[in-house]
This record gives sequence, structure tokens and C-alpha cells, in this order.
Amino acid sequence: MAGNFWQSSHNQQWLLDKQDLVRERQHDLALLTEEEYQKIFIFFASVIQTLGEQLKLRQQVIATATVYFKRFYARNSLKCIDPLLLAPTCIFLASKVEEFGVISNSRLISTCQTIIKNKFGYAYNSEFPYRTNHILECEFYLLENLDCCLIVYQPYRPLLQLVQDIGQEDQLLTLAWRIVNDSLRTDVCLLYPPYQIAIGCLGIACVILQKDQKTWFAELNVDLEKIQEIARYVMNLFELWKTYDEKKEIQGLLAKMPKPKLAPQR
Amino acid sequence: MSFFMMDYEFKMKTQNERVKVEDLFDYEGCKVGRGTYGHVYKGRRKDGSDNKDYALKQIEGTGLSMSACREIALLRELKHPNVINLVRVFLSHNDRKVWLMFDFAEHDLWHIIKYHRAAKANKTKPFSVNKPMVKSLLYQILDGIHYLHSNWVLHRDLKPANILVMGEGPERGRVKIADMGFARLFNAPLKPLADLDPVVVTFWYRAPELLLGARHYTKAIDIWAIGCIFAELLTSEPIFHCRQEDIKTSNPYHHDQLDRIFNVMGFPHEKDWEDIKKMPEHPTLLKDFKKSNYVNCSLVKYMERHKIKPDTKSFQLLQKLLLMDPNKRITSDQAMQDPYFSEEPYPTQDVFQNLGPTIPYPKREFLTDDDQEEKSENKQRQNQQQPQPQQQHQQVPQQSQQPQQSNQHDNHPSKRVRLSGPPGHPGQMNSQQIPISQQQEFHQQQMMYSNAQQQQSNFQQRFQ
Repeated sequence: MAGNFWQSSHNQQWLLDKQDLVRERQHDLALLTEEEYQKIFIFFASVIQTLGEQLKLRQQVIATATVYFKRFYARNSLKCIDPLLLAPTCIFLASKVEEFGVISNSRLISTCQTIIKNKFGYAYNSEFPYRTNHILECEFYLLENLDCCLIVYQPYRPLLQLVQDIGQEDQLLTLAWRIVNDSLRTDVCLLYPPYQIAIGCLGIACVILQKDQKTWFAELNVDLEKIQEIARYVMNLFELWKTYDEKKEIQGLLAKMPKPKLAPQR
Repeated sequence: MSFFMMDYEFKMKTQNERVKVEDLFDYEGCKVGRGTYGHVYKGRRKDGSDNKDYALKQIEGTGLSMSACREIALLRELKHPNVINLVRVFLSHNDRKVWLMFDFAEHDLWHIIKYHRAAKANKTKPFSVNKPMVKSLLYQILDGIHYLHSNWVLHRDLKPANILVMGEGPERGRVKIADMGFARLFNAPLKPLADLDPVVVTFWYRAPELLLGARHYTKAIDIWAIGCIFAELLTSEPIFHCRQEDIKTSNPYHHDQLDRIFNVMGFPHEKDWEDIKKMPEHPTLLKDFKKSNYVNCSLVKYMERHKIKPDTKSFQLLQKLLLMDPNKRITSDQAMQDPYFSEEPYPTQDVFQNLGPTIPYPKREFLTDDDQEEKSENKQRQNQQQPQPQQQHQQVPQQSQQPQQSNQHDNHPSKRVRLSGPPGHPGQMNSQQIPISQQQEFHQQQMMYSNAQQQQSNFQQRFQ
């Protein structure tokens, strides 16, 4: 269903506002600073990205999985479901919705084991602990918490149209495309419609490549304030990256993260 | 480090808020459908908060298959008066069953046409579907399909059994297009369509290009099926009726079905369908068929045998829907503008409007599990005459819906529509402007799972 964004559940139910996010996160933010909270999400976005690439999924599927992940925690504390379980579950569900085909359970689990061991060994000392039955159980909880809203609109398609309209070469598209991927490490996919995110990321790409497209941007019929907000989110991410050493910090952050609690002992 | 996957408190809270289908509805002994998709029950709310009937579909198998995911994902977004409305989804965690709740539709075109065929056989009136009703049905089918197509959703399995019609009530006589379990996006084919579900359209309603091995589903394929349904409404006979015993193969090429189409339509001239040469099975076609066998066949003659004259508006529209060349076939919005609909009698919202105060068609019967087996034996016999809708029975020579192991990879450059893009490119991008779908009064009033107020409140409660 790629037809009409305006009538979609994405637009009607899943463009949240900033205050809403702050309110829902207050429990987690009692234990973590905003920056720490963001770093945890940057880490799991990388887990999803790496897992998706390892499974040879297209970027569209990976982006949808990342949005599912962010939507779940926009409404729930990090302690509700271990993000290390939710991340592969999001990939599993998104691949079916985006018509990639069903990933075999054993392949999903073994790929998780491989990447946790080989690529994220700096974050986890032990093996990937989950099995197929955990993913399947988690999938039902995910679907419920998404309120069955599975079709997610992404900025990639509007981005292609915009770049075509500018009439620029591949360099601009490639860079803007990467910036859209980076934007999945911020909250913009929860806050702004995808075409605005595309414009925001394209704007940053033009600045980086020192291409003057001011007149072209001025002619776009968009709320420029929103575009600037998006650009600010992404630029803040770039700032954070300058001084952040994930390999050093992530174990401490994961240890600090609120954890699921077991049933009270009888 | 120890791992606990789920928080106990979260789990308990979600469990307490979750509503079970069996707690909410009475449906025991009320099975009205059985098919490869699962079971359908007619249910009523136990708390009596409304007196409406609902269709409760228990999806075959457990968990979320890809087709269940696609069905939920698409129906969650689609809102149109002529497309079946998904009211709610129930996930049963204990047995891992998925239930979909729809508004209940008492009738469908398979049963309606069957009623007229029986009348014809018994020489009782009415022999055929009344003409104003045919027009209203066709208009609403086109309206629903136009909505789906303008949202880049293909149905891919249109047939009379999938065209439901609402019974008595506020939506009396309104068409609801159903069973889009296989409906899929086609503006971003992450995989070529034919690789996933090699055979999905019932053979009688399959467009000739599919029978000749077309690798991509298109809007035109749905339009052909609508043409077949239109002809069947006009004559009460399936226009491309074909013996079904032979249909076992998952190969799209089907000799007998093509023979039947040519017997009605005549053999396609190259000037009428230039790209026929490009069809994967074109060489087989040339080998198997002789043009000279069909020189006396034409749609005009076929329809005249069924007392539909070629100078009628209905015939002229039919001819545009059933063009052999998919590129020349009319689109749903063009069809809705056709002079047929601007000539009296005009199409009506209630397709039964001309039939008087009571709907003459029988209501759905309840099936029992034993009963159903008997019926399906009966049906084996009947099947030579008329296909059973999945609504009621397993389709007998059910074509394989398993992904075909095909080593026939299509490398034809003209069919490779994907653009190459930068790394991480999500597949084909269609730059075509997406039409804004019609402003239906429905869109505003309906929220799928909840009303607007609930939406503001606790998110967890929304999903019940």
C-alpha cells in the first residue's frame, strides 16, 4: 500500500509530537540521560542495519524494521522487551511486510549469533541468547504494540524524485541517501513525514557538497521551519559522533539500561 | 550477563488488556466458510453492544505467514465502501492463531449466479440476474478496484466468490471486494511477482497474458477478471468455462484454458496484440494452436448466442474489458466513465433496489465439519459445471500456491524494471504521481481499531 500517505496509519497515528515522546520516555530518562538514551538507540539501529545487510535485505526493509523498533519504544520502556530480542523480531516482521519473503528461523538466529559474536563483541561478552520461539512470541507483542500499522512510508522515494527534479548527478543522491540512513539514528522518523525528512537530508547534502540550491529550496512548497528542525536533529547526531566512542562506552550504557524483571517470587 | 526477554509486569498488563475473540463473540457452530485461507464464522457480540453480524476469519496455520502479514498490513490501510473493512485483529497467544474481524456480508456473486443457474435449469423464473442489478454490481466492482489500483494494490484473484454483497441493513446491496490475501504492492516489486506466488488467479478468470507466462501482475489482469465476471452476470454462464481436471500444473501455460478463450474470442491477430511475440510461452502457442481453428469465433457471436446484442452499451463495454492485448484493455476509471453507466437505468447504491423489499437470494448456510466433507464430495461431481468458491469449499484442483522453484530467470531487459541506485537502494522507484484517492465520506468516519478518543488514551488499550 504505497498509495496515499495522507490517509495512511503512518500519518494519522504515527507522527508523534515531541512532548509525547518526552512523556513516554520519562521512566527511562530517570535512569539514563537523553544522550545516553540516544546512544543506546544508535547502537540498536546499527544492530538492525548490520543484521539486515548480513541477510541481504534491501535498505527499505531495514528502514521499516528500524521504524518498528523505534515505534515500540516510543510507547514502552526499554525494560519491557530486551531490545536485543526486539531488533531481530523487527527485521523478521518487516521482511514479510515488505515482501522480501520469509527469512528462515534458523538463518535468522544463526545470523544474529554471528553478528553479535563477530561485529558486536565489544558490546556483549556472551552469545546471542534467544531462539526461534522467543522471536515468534515477541512478534505477536510487537504487532499488538504497533496496533497492526505495518506499512511505513520512507524518505527514499521522495528523495529520488527531488534529486531528479534538481537534475543533479549521482554524488548528491548518494550522499543524501546516506544521510537519510543516518537519520534513522534520530527521532525524526517518529516526528516528521518522510517527504520532509527527504528534503531535510537533501539540504544537508547540498551544504556538505557546497551546492547552492537556495532558489530551488525556496520554491518548494514546504514548511521550512520543519525542514530546519529535521536538519538540526541530523546535525546534532553528527556532532555527537565526533566525540563518541561506542566501543568504549556501550557496555556501560547497556548495563545501565532498564532491564526486564522476572515474575515476583511466590 | 543474564538475559530476561520480557518484563513480567509488561506481559501481565498486555495480557489483561488483550481481548479474546471467544470472549467477545458467539460463533460456535456458525461456520460459514472453509478454504485454503482458513475458516470463517458468522459471529455476534456477546455483550449485545450492537446487533450486527461479523465475519470472523481464523487464518489457516499458526503465527504470521507472509500472506497473513500482507493481508493485515494492507487491509489496515485500505478504506473504501466497496472494499471489505477489517474491523479488528485478534492474536491468540496460546494457540498462536490469528483472527481477522470483518463486517459480515450475507451474499456473494458465486451464490447469486448459482441461484440463477438453478432457476434456469429448473425453468423457474428469474433466469438471469436482472439488468439494472448487473450494472450496479459492475459499477461498484470498478469503483472498489479503482480505489485499490490508485493505491497501488492489485487484487490478483478476482472471481465471483470474492465479490461479496451486503445483506439487509444499512449497507444493503453494497459490493465489498474481499480476499486480498495475495494482494500486493506492485510499484516496488522487491521481488519479481511471479517468483513469489507463481499461480494465484483462478483459471477461468485468468488473463491470456498470464496463461502465456507473463512474469508481472498488472492492473490489466484484474480488469480482464472483471470482464469475465461481467459476462457471467449477463449470461449466468462462466464465459471461459473450462474443464478443471487437467489443471494440476504450477506452470502458468494452460492449453485448454487458452483454447477456450480463443473459442470465444477468436485467435488474436498480431496487429491486435503486437507484444504477443514477446510472451515467454509464445513459441508454445505457435506450436500448439492453429489460427484456422478459430476463424468463426468472436465475442460478438458468443454474446449473441446468449441474447446480448452487439449494439448494446453493455456489450460495447464488455468488449473493452476483454481486450486480449493488456496494453489496450480499458482502465477502471475509464470504464467508470463509460456511456453504459450514463444510460438509464443508472447504477444504484443498493444493487438489490429493483428486486423489491426482500432480497430473494438465500442466506449463507452454516457448515458442520461432517457436512462439509459430504458437500465437498458432491462438489467433486458438480465441479465440472461450476467452480466452488473457497467461501464454502476447498477448491478441488487447487492450483499450487507454493512458490515455484523456477530456474527460468527472466533476464529480458524490457522486463527488468528495477532502477539501479546507490547502495541500499530499496528497489524500483516509480516516479509516477500517486493519484489522490477519492474523498469518501468513509475515510473520515472510520478509524480502524478505535475511535478518535480512544486513540488519545492509553495506547495499549487500543489493541484489543
